[in-house]
Amino acid sequence: MTAEELQETIARQFGRSLHIRTLDTGSCAVCEQEIRLLAAPHYDLQRLGFFFTPAPRHADLLLVTGPMIRAFEVAARKTYDAMPGPKIVVATGACALGGVYPADPFTHGTVDAVLPVDVWIPGCPPSPLALLQGLGVAVGRLAGKVRDLPFTVDDDPERTRGDS
Amino acid sequence: MTTVEPRVVPGAVTTFQVASPDLEAVVRDLAGLRLADMFAGGSGGSSPRASRAASNGEQTILRLVWANDTQGEAGYVITETPIENGEYPALSDIAPAAFVEECEIYEQFGIRPASGKPLNRIMLPPHADLPTLGRKPRSEPEEQHAPHLVGGQAFEFPFGPVRQAGVESLYYGLVTSGEEVVDLYLFTWHKHRGLEWRLQGMTPHDALFLAERAEGLSAVAMTWALAAAAEAATGIAPAGAAQRTRAVAAELERLYNHAAAMAALCQSTGLSVGQSAAEIALERLLRLNARAFGHRYLFGVVDVGGASRAPDADAIREDLPAAYGEFRRAADALLGTNSFVDRLEATGILTAAQARGLGLVGPVARAAGLTADTRLVPGGPYGKQVTAATATAGDVLARFTVMLAEAAESVRLIGQFLDAGTAAGTTELPRTGGTGLGWAESSRGEALAWIALGDDGRITRARLRPASARNWRGFDDACRSQNVFTDIPIIEASFWLTAAGMAR
Amino acid sequence: MTLWFIRGLRRGVVTTRYPARPDPSARFLPTPPAFRPRALTRETAGRLAATCPSGALRLDDLTLVYDVGRCTACGRCAAEAPAAVQSSGEFELAATVRSELIKRIPLRETS
Repeated sequence: MTAEELQETIARQFGRSLHIRTLDTGSCAVCEQEIRLLAAPHYDLQRLGFFFTPAPRHADLLLVTGPMIRAFEVAARKTYDAMPGPKIVVATGACALGGVYPADPFTHGTVDAVLPVDVWIPGCPPSPLALLQGLGVAVGRLAGKVRDLPFTVDDDPERTRGDS
Repeated sequence: MTTVEPRVVPGAVTTFQVASPDLEAVVRDLAGLRLADMFAGGSGGSSPRASRAASNGEQTILRLVWANDTQGEAGYVITETPIENGEYPALSDIAPAAFVEECEIYEQFGIRPASGKPLNRIMLPPHADLPTLGRKPRSEPEEQHAPHLVGGQAFEFPFGPVRQAGVESLYYGLVTSGEEVVDLYLFTWHKHRGLEWRLQGMTPHDALFLAERAEGLSAVAMTWALAAAAEAATGIAPAGAAQRTRAVAAELERLYNHAAAMAALCQSTGLSVGQSAAEIALERLLRLNARAFGHRYLFGVVDVGGASRAPDADAIREDLPAAYGEFRRAADALLGTNSFVDRLEATGILTAAQARGLGLVGPVARAAGLTADTRLVPGGPYGKQVTAATATAGDVLARFTVMLAEAAESVRLIGQFLDAGTAAGTTELPRTGGTGLGWAESSRGEALAWIALGDDGRITRARLRPASARNWRGFDDACRSQNVFTDIPIIEASFWLTAAGMAR
Repeated sequence: MTLWFIRGLRRGVVTTRYPARPDPSARFLPTPPAFRPRALTRETAGRLAATCPSGALRLDDLTLVYDVGRCTACGRCAAEAPAAVQSSGEFELAATVRSELIKRIPLRETS
């Protein structure tokens, strides 16, 4: 089995049963509320084979919120190191992606300054629907959309070249 | 220097200068009021870097904010005392509520109570060279906690800050004797984002963006308090319709938080069905928020001078009855489930004396019999229409029933405000210097903000005090003698605070 | 427990079909902005970059560099220049490569 095939097999396994450990690196608490709602009846992430786990040893995916406050870095690294590979790191929320707080003495400003991030989910907070899409992309069940979104509005129909 | 005796004027904020030698006597005189906050800051002059001015030897002003909670006469008093020699009279012996703030002031300004008693680490992480609001203290806080032995036996262990999935990072220092909690202390400095430091130099409008995120679950209340402080500092009075918009948002915020607290209570007692029912109500309320105000958590509603968005009144009238109906049905079913109620009764009791001594606010205080409710302060959009819900038992069940009563009241108030008319409306603040105090009743209790503006209209000192910053200090009293494994989550859910609000 | 069971049956299923089917509640979610290049003068783009409280907008010569990842959908840029900014309506924004979230939007040639 080549490395790619192994990778694909693992991704397929994660797609069927994924255990998620959450990590708050300094959020305002709203991202956590949306994450809790993933297990609520309206969203029910368990129907998709996703589960929360308190034990990093059992976890496959680390769902990280907050701007990675420097004083928290040790705890963040310990949590990540305690997870056995293969593992996926998902940074979620504007704080974790570098918004809201710039890098300064208090915070790194972005999670990928400390942990190797595989998937980024924007939002403030990302709604449970956005989180579900992000988790689906993380395990390879959903294709990401954002690369092909231009975020432009082009009113002039004569202009043929797309903006991006 | 003679001291004018501070008196509360209903609906107003009156500020009194008190010389340092007179401070102790004044604090004794004011002991009948609630000490709402204590903080230090620059003189509030035109320099945008007041902290630099403070470290250059300019006097640091110690401010105490007192609240009168008596119905019909509610108002605030602020005493301002210039600090000399880096010391001030020990106040927490007279007003126990002040201890946490004394520690915070030491960490940020290096000034301490004259008694020389040990102070704890509260806000700033150890061994970190972080910017402070004033001059750094000469030595680290000594950190003394309550004696940890019960009959010679005690087991101390840390829990957190990484806890179970989906909750904030929070560090508990648990001291137990068997399964009984002997002591519990919390650290939140791993979530300290230095917000008050960041706000320096910002305009109030820009500061609201960060104030929302001090404690996102109280975004409306915290921004309302900060906007009101800026308006008080510059003499602006928002229009009635915009005030009612703020109030509608604040009541919607109260509703969803109480639904979330109910869900957390069910989770803590292991009642999954109840948790699901509460979460259905919570999700419907959040979707109502998105439909009415454009954001599930009501970010971006409050602005200086009023509100940046008016609610979709028809959407609220359409969706609120059904959403609240879900909430009410879940609550009624829970109150009829004996196995659930048994877990709540006589758990986590806080007496009125404890709540008063610690200056607690919100449903936690009201469930112990205190009447503090910021909505009763005359002059706001609530008028006399609010009935503050209280209980006497002070246990988790009392806090739960107070939340349920408040939720019913919130629905009624929203209807009244919508009928009276809501609108958006903001004002550009005049560029004048000044100081002001603002407040709002969050779902957790009184949210306070104080602001000092320079002549360029920018913040020289902003003080954010969400209710969590006050109420966590009651948590260890409520948990004492309770079961460490089964009761602490229940008590935590009944307080429904956030680590973010404490850490800022 | 029977009461809970009956109540649950009566309410029915509330679970979303997402991601298999779209969810109607998504249309009320706040979303990051989309920009109208024809209305983006250098002056407007400069104002937008200064207004953004989250550092999502930056002016780079004749390009507005827009980091969707940093955006909080606060709406301040739309309030600042309504002709140049509108809501994108997109909430499915997860990216496996960070640069997929960075959009370079050309400004109008003349300012």
